[in-house]
Amino acid sequence: MISAENLTKQFIVRGVPLVAVNHLSFQVASGEVYGLLGPNGAGKTTTLRMIMGLLEPDSGYVEIGGVRSTNKSTDIRKQLGLISTNDGVYPWLTVREMLLYFADLYAVDPLLAAERLEELANLLDLRNFIDQRCSTLSTGQKQRVTLARGLMHDPPVMLLDEPTRGLDVVGSQAIFRFIDLLKQRGKVVLLSTHRLDEAERVCDRFGLLHRGNLQFEGTLDELRQATGKQHLVDMFIAFLNAPQGNATQISSPVNIPPNELSPQA
Amino acid sequence: MNEYLSNGRLWRLCQKELRESLRDRRTLFTLVLMPILVYPLLSMALQRLVIGANSKTKEVTEYVLGVEDEEAGGKIRELLIEAQQTLERGFASPITVTRSNDPTEKDTTSSPVKPSDEIPSYKIEMADRATLDQALSDGRLDLLITKLNIETTKLERGVFPAYTIQAEFRQNDLRSETALSGFRRATQLINDYQAALFRKQIDRKIPVAMTFNATGIFEKADLSSSIAGVIPLVLILMTITGAVYPAIDLTAGERERGTMEALIATPAPRFALLLSKYVAVVTVAVLTALANLFATWMTLSFGGLGQALFGKSGFSVLMLLQILPLLVIFACFFSAILLALCSFARSFKEAQAYLIPVMLLSLGPGLVTLMPNVQFTTLLGIVPLLNILMLSRDIMTGQSSLVPAFAAVFSTIIYACATLVVASRLFGAEAATSGSQESWSELLSRPKKKQMLPDIGELAIYLALLFPVFFVASNLGGMFEWKGSWALFLNAAILFVLFMLLPLLYSWYRRIDLANTFRLSEGVGRGEPIWNRIARWIGYVAGVLLLSAALWMVAFEAYLLFESWSLASQLSEEDKERLKSDFLVVPFWVVLLTGAVAPAIAEEFFFRGFVLSAFRSKLTAFRSVLFTSLLFGLFHVIAGSVLSIEKFLPTIILGMAIGYVAVRTGSLFPGILLHALHNGLVFSMSRFTEQDLARWFGEETKHIPVVWLCGGVLSMALGAGVLFLSSQRNQSHEDSN
Repeated sequence: MISAENLTKQFIVRGVPLVAVNHLSFQVASGEVYGLLGPNGAGKTTTLRMIMGLLEPDSGYVEIGGVRSTNKSTDIRKQLGLISTNDGVYPWLTVREMLLYFADLYAVDPLLAAERLEELANLLDLRNFIDQRCSTLSTGQKQRVTLARGLMHDPPVMLLDEPTRGLDVVGSQAIFRFIDLLKQRGKVVLLSTHRLDEAERVCDRFGLLHRGNLQFEGTLDELRQATGKQHLVDMFIAFLNAPQGNATQISSPVNIPPNELSPQA
Repeated sequence: MNEYLSNGRLWRLCQKELRESLRDRRTLFTLVLMPILVYPLLSMALQRLVIGANSKTKEVTEYVLGVEDEEAGGKIRELLIEAQQTLERGFASPITVTRSNDPTEKDTTSSPVKPSDEIPSYKIEMADRATLDQALSDGRLDLLITKLNIETTKLERGVFPAYTIQAEFRQNDLRSETALSGFRRATQLINDYQAALFRKQIDRKIPVAMTFNATGIFEKADLSSSIAGVIPLVLILMTITGAVYPAIDLTAGERERGTMEALIATPAPRFALLLSKYVAVVTVAVLTALANLFATWMTLSFGGLGQALFGKSGFSVLMLLQILPLLVIFACFFSAILLALCSFARSFKEAQAYLIPVMLLSLGPGLVTLMPNVQFTTLLGIVPLLNILMLSRDIMTGQSSLVPAFAAVFSTIIYACATLVVASRLFGAEAATSGSQESWSELLSRPKKKQMLPDIGELAIYLALLFPVFFVASNLGGMFEWKGSWALFLNAAILFVLFMLLPLLYSWYRRIDLANTFRLSEGVGRGEPIWNRIARWIGYVAGVLLLSAALWMVAFEAYLLFESWSLASQLSEEDKERLKSDFLVVPFWVVLLTGAVAPAIAEEFFFRGFVLSAFRSKLTAFRSVLFTSLLFGLFHVIAGSVLSIEKFLPTIILGMAIGYVAVRTGSLFPGILLHALHNGLVFSMSRFTEQDLARWFGEETKHIPVVWLCGGVLSMALGAGVLFLSSQRNQSHEDSN
């Protein structure tokens, strides 16, 4: 289980303070997929970076398996796997070399790493190109290598940061299957995306984030009941445009252009 | 951190970086092809430079010819006049060319007189042989007549003198060689004229009128020292070139490939990540340096340029072995600089934009080394890049000296460590924060959180700032010729500022816990009965007294050992005597205050306070004490403008002893006492004359008597034991650090 408590981060941009994340709290249980949703600039990536210990929160903390980020950020990182939008591969290394390198970075015992590599090669169908240099791989193959990289240390918590951005239908399907796999394995999955239609398909619960504030949190049914809308996109626009209610947390409501929230964005 | 440094994991991380770099064709191109392309071109350019340097010979109207006595001078003058007259008579001489060293090797051709056959004008200088040799070597003389024998032969038609002349000239020096060939032509002309006369009269055996042999001495061309400076510059630029691509690829490249975020999201410490990249960049840089050095050696050895630049032995293997470690040290330093700059960059383009000015800037010191009159002084030894370039130049021209060499090597290593620390802090910071400027400002800003101890990185940065200042400061007394008490007070003031005041200020700025770092409070004692405390401190003082009673013997014997290895201070006997008499003039209380008490306080604050605590933040107590003592020893080797190598070993031993005291007691003060007592005893010893020492130690030996040494060992063991027992309570506190 992962728990974020009261996370706050403020940046100074050209001398002006900007609250990127504002007193954000949520929990995700094992085997649950939690969608951290919001338009660009909502504070999703900043939240993930605070969870990973790359950014120090101004206040609040993250707790994974009883370990708090404020005390042991290294121990927290060992329990996290990250799949991100821009994930790349090392062109001059073979797939095997790259995956074992990341196992070393997570201090996995070499024997265990070799076993896990075999297992992931079967699971993600890497066997045919495992000893090829990454520069020779197709986009789909590279994507599978990236997914395997996130699992080499078998983390209990997976952070997926806009994992389908820039992918075609086939690539996106692979990600959905991967999320299913993680769920089956009882991982905590935190999916950060602005593609609400995809989130609707794979997430068990959602946190709608805008300008660093958590606007709403709940399951899809709870959201439907609360809004009377069928889809997340409609719900989110309704929330943002609503003068009262949950949206009152927004200090200066703005209209989000629909294209930022659309599936094709 | 330890799990990344153990089990060969760090090596596997390095292997990945090496694979990435060495499999990349662009790296291989710089590594292999560049030397192959560059050096033949460089060789041609240098040949032209050497020739160009000597081409001013064309403007020379008079050559300088040296003889040992007036008689020989007169004969040579007559001979040259005769040759000139022969030429003026329009005598068409067959030209005989004799190669310089081998008179038997002759190539005789006939040709009409050409303008180039004219006999040049010679100015004859007379001096003793040593002066002439020196003048020839320096280029003030173009030809030296070393032997002139005249044998007369009576013939029916008269007396014919037969000259045997031997000369020396500078080989590969166009001016000297022109002077030689002119002189050779003169002798040949007379020979031929004599032969022609005989042929006209009687067909009989003619005497050899002139036998002329010349020996070339290998001397550098006029501009050779400055041209020799080109070679280290080229080697260093090529080493940089080799390191540039891997440095960009392994840092900014991570970001462009999209692997940076995944990399810094791992629990691997940034320093371990950067260290593995550093190893790869240094390896490629060193391989490039090796390839270039080999290509240089081949070019200079087989192109004949080596002898023109460096004298008879050319670019020797010994020279090569001396330059290689310098290139390795330089590669370590510059790779760290490159990584720091590239870590700051977000893309290949940005990294290149940062590196180009740095490469151009590095040409500046390179040009300085080309100036023949710029000496590699002691103070230049601490100027990064310039120091290695000038040291390489001086090694190549055989003029290197120890103090600037030590300063160059030691400072470059410290700068490399500090730059690596900065690089590790910049690496990946941009990926975590929102902009590059924040990563810089975070590096320089005052931390928000308090730290219990400084870390090793902070120590490296502080040392990089301290060493040059300390080095300049330790030369201040010599520069202003301060003597006596003033020099000692100045020295003490410098110690207080650099070793106590600045570390305290730095620690305050970085919010480092002062009491903990500088061991100002033992961490125990609260709630401890006052009598226990007093007893403990009595134990500390007793232990320290026992240790100090033995440590001066170690210092004394170590000095004798170094003296027997001829490694003691390079001061001449007169200098030593002068220093000693200067020293004896100073009141003894001043010596004790500035030489024992002041260094004890200042140096203990730094070494057993700041340095030991920084090492303790990551290492075991033993390793921390050992590394602290090594630094303590190295800083003591620098003593103004000379190196006191003999101080190295005793200072390390003293450092180990004080380190033990500091770790056991958890306090700085017993160490200060031990340091002050030790220095005080050593200075007291130096007040005694050799007769006093002989009276105590015995006439026949300079060494301390065995009985004394046994007493010293016993005293040391007892002291360590007393300290061990007295400080039992402190260990839980020390371990928690």
